[in-house]
Amino acid sequence: MSKPKGVYDNAATGDTSFRRTWDRDEYAHKAAERQAQEAKERKERYEAKVAGKKYLPKLDANINVKEFDDSKMVEARRDRIRLDENLNKVQIVPFGSTGGRRGKGAGYYCEACDLNFTNSLEYVEHLNSKQHLQATGQTDIVERATLEMVRERLQWLKQRKRDQNRAEQFDLAKRLAERRNIEEEERIERKERKRVKKEEKRREKLKANTNSVNLDDTQDRDATTMARMMGFEGFGSTKQR
Amino acid sequence: MSRTIAPDAKAMLDTRGLYDGPTIHSMNPLLLMEKIIRERIIDSMYWKEQAWGLNAATLLDRAVDLQYIGGQYANQKPTAFICLVLKMLQLNPEREILLEYLQDEDFKYLRALAAFYIRLAWPAAEVYKTLEPLMADYRKLRLRTQAGFKLTFVDEFIDDLLTKERVCDIALPRMPTRAQLEDMDELEPRESLVSDVEEDSDEEVGEEGEVGED
Repeated sequence: MSKPKGVYDNAATGDTSFRRTWDRDEYAHKAAERQAQEAKERKERYEAKVAGKKYLPKLDANINVKEFDDSKMVEARRDRIRLDENLNKVQIVPFGSTGGRRGKGAGYYCEACDLNFTNSLEYVEHLNSKQHLQATGQTDIVERATLEMVRERLQWLKQRKRDQNRAEQFDLAKRLAERRNIEEEERIERKERKRVKKEEKRREKLKANTNSVNLDDTQDRDATTMARMMGFEGFGSTKQR
Repeated sequence: MSRTIAPDAKAMLDTRGLYDGPTIHSMNPLLLMEKIIRERIIDSMYWKEQAWGLNAATLLDRAVDLQYIGGQYANQKPTAFICLVLKMLQLNPEREILLEYLQDEDFKYLRALAAFYIRLAWPAAEVYKTLEPLMADYRKLRLRTQAGFKLTFVDEFIDDLLTKERVCDIALPRMPTRAQLEDMDELEPRESLVSDVEEDSDEEVGEEGEVGED
């Protein structure tokens, strides 16, 4: 791929730097390669025609042909697609990525295909598409199940159900005991907290009583008489009560 | 029969050219379900996410997780049950596999699913022969309709399949009644499952009476 470089190298502002740029040398090189390839093929085609044979392209490493198909058949999904994975999360989206589907942006992102989707239905449809399967090395065919496979699966599911039932039964008594312990602890803690609070309140009340007695006697009385003399009694409303 | 299948129903519902896939009642199996509900299923999230890429073995994983039977619910959404019925029509499982589903004792919704498929796909006489023994299954089933949940039973569901025209919002293929098939000598007269109960009902009453006195 071409390196992202500023279009205007001397552009001091840089406000157009998000635009896509192209590496001319790289593409010139690619074009030369392709032309050489085509010339070679033309020559082989011509030679085959002269010899009166049918031209068949060679399986060459240079030619982009898969030598063997190692793609796997599609299997049923093991888990649910996690559509709410990014729910209530803040993500940083690259600038200028809101246009097409290519590249990571806001919404559902497919790592394998480098595509972004703005709704769940589109995303799931993409996961089922040939394009995605090809990118992840799968073919869009499913193996047909035989009777043995069905029997095996059913046995496994039955076993799983039995195990789950057993686990649940075992858990119940244990969980009840655990719950009881937790509740007992919580009760004691609540009691302790209440006691501490009560004690604190009592102490505060005592303190406040002794303080107010001192204030009333000396400074506070002076201040109120002075204020009355000056024509105001205090802050707040003048409303008669 | 080919050894592979498609992950979805797209190819089977392709209307370009003549259909040359497997047939049931000499038609495309997927067309046994009406167009409207079929399209609702194919557009549904369950079909695209959960029912995609299943085969007859992995279908069991989904069938085991079923919580209720039914056709459409709420705002005409297709139930998982009806989605799996369409999936089975697409998969077209072999006879032995279906009997394996049907005879399993642990999962009642799997049994209901298999029974529904058999009613859709098999010839009339065989439907009666295969489904009637299930009338001895009295387990509860949850039925979800547009109006809400309803209680039904496996035997009641089987009876609906054998006698009604529409079950789970699907028009079932026409089937001669049991009496007609008996007249055509395709079926033996039915032995009632409760016939032997009636005979020795006197003894039972006697036993019950004794228990009451104790």
